[in-house]
Amino acid sequence: MTKKNIIPPPPSDQTWVLSSLEPDQLVKAKKHPIPRRHLKGPELLILWTLRLYLLFMMAVVGYQVWIAAR
Amino acid sequence: MKFTATQTEAEVVITHEDVDRAHDRVRVSDARARRGFSSNARLLWLLAGPGVLVMLGENDGPSMLSYAATGARFGIGFFLPFVVVTFGMAIVVQEMTVRLGAATHRGHAELIFERFGPFWGWFSMIDLGIGNFLTLITEFIAIRAGLGFFGVPAWAAVLIAFVVLYAALMSHRYWTWERITLAAALFNLIFIPVALMTHPNWHSVGHAFATWKPLPGFNKDTLLILLADIGATVTPWMLFFQQSATVDKGMTTKDIRFGRIDTVLGAALASAAAVATIIATAPLFAHQMTTGNYEAAEFAQALEPIIGHFGASLFALGMVEAGIVAAITISTSSAYAFGEVARKPHSLNLPVGEGKSFYAVLTLCAVVAAAIVLIPGLPLVYVVLIVNVVAVLAMPPALVFLYMLVNDKEIMGDLVSPPWANILSGGVVLTLTAAGILFGISIIAPNIFAALGGK
Repeated sequence: MTKKNIIPPPPSDQTWVLSSLEPDQLVKAKKHPIPRRHLKGPELLILWTLRLYLLFMMAVVGYQVWIAAR
Repeated sequence: MKFTATQTEAEVVITHEDVDRAHDRVRVSDARARRGFSSNARLLWLLAGPGVLVMLGENDGPSMLSYAATGARFGIGFFLPFVVVTFGMAIVVQEMTVRLGAATHRGHAELIFERFGPFWGWFSMIDLGIGNFLTLITEFIAIRAGLGFFGVPAWAAVLIAFVVLYAALMSHRYWTWERITLAAALFNLIFIPVALMTHPNWHSVGHAFATWKPLPGFNKDTLLILLADIGATVTPWMLFFQQSATVDKGMTTKDIRFGRIDTVLGAALASAAAVATIIATAPLFAHQMTTGNYEAAEFAQALEPIIGHFGASLFALGMVEAGIVAAITISTSSAYAFGEVARKPHSLNLPVGEGKSFYAVLTLCAVVAAAIVLIPGLPLVYVVLIVNVVAVLAMPPALVFLYMLVNDKEIMGDLVSPPWANILSGGVVLTLTAAGILFGISIIAPNIFAALGGK
């Protein structure tokens, strides 16, 4: 561990840091999760459709690689 | 190690990451306090970075290979303006990540997990993880092949890539890392002098941009190149990287205008390099040389009779640069996403002691990908072929998450996307999905593809 890690800046520096950053830019502020959003029916439908699309297309890519490898 | 400080009544924990970020913000505030052209130029210098890096980072090994294959297969024509349009799509998409990062100060993976829950969060992480890992392998293939042109053995090529990667990381400062990586990324423009060495027919170039002609035939090859060229400009890792880098850089809503300029500047530089690569390899088409299985160094070898050893060397060096810069940005994108999801410290401002998991993931991604490239006899060419296609296929789900987040008034406030931006991003989603479906049809139902006019 470096010296930089174990020596806290003086209180004047702490004030300076707090005034330079927006409150939610502080590392501590980011530890509070943003509230969960409830997904509506149409949104879930789109997400599931695209998920199935992706799975199907990955299988197609796998098939193409298999054909090319043969 | 953290320490506590008291500000008014609330206890506030300040980390070294906060202190480093505050240093960067003070310089921005000082520049903003001044007036005139020099102030704006200074602000652009301070705030540019994530956009240029993400765009030039996406001009990576497989992307440059796709552009090279495009020039060699189709010459100067439809694909020149098409590639520029794909960068337009990239601007539309990446601008949203700037707004999201500046408004929420959260990374992309973090926001998806917190807003939509771990079920959807893990899906997007798996997409990102697989895509990033495959792409990272191709970056080391490009590095190995490019340095192979100069007779450098594979193990030494990989070692050189690691030295550059760690030279950037060892500063433990986002700002320094960004400047070192930016300097390396600007070497992507090396493809421009290579293009000039081929003495291109500027009349044909102008005609191609004005008319989008000559058009390529509509067949499986064209579709694969089309998809690869789209995948060379818009991929999921770009969303995660630019948003996380915007947050790590400490950008706020006041900086969004410069974030947009940064993104457009990056797209302009990257599209210039992409167009130059197509023009550089166009003589291979004009000379009717076969390009069936070209890899990075083989393009340089094929170009040597036309542009000489020096020109071919520049081309090979360009491939090395493309691979190294992308290896840095993509492994960083994976490390950011892991840290955000695992709620571990994730910043390039972290000393090693505080960011063990961040640096460990970053290193592990690069080491495993490099090790795979060193295994003799592996059919690496298949990975190169499919990686851009996989990127295109994975984009629609990633873009829908982005679309939902950037239109979420609770987290974005007044910065939600305006209707015109939603129409553009919706158009990008539909274009990518249609391209993917057409590709699927061409593989599993060639008869239907032929009925649609394909061969």
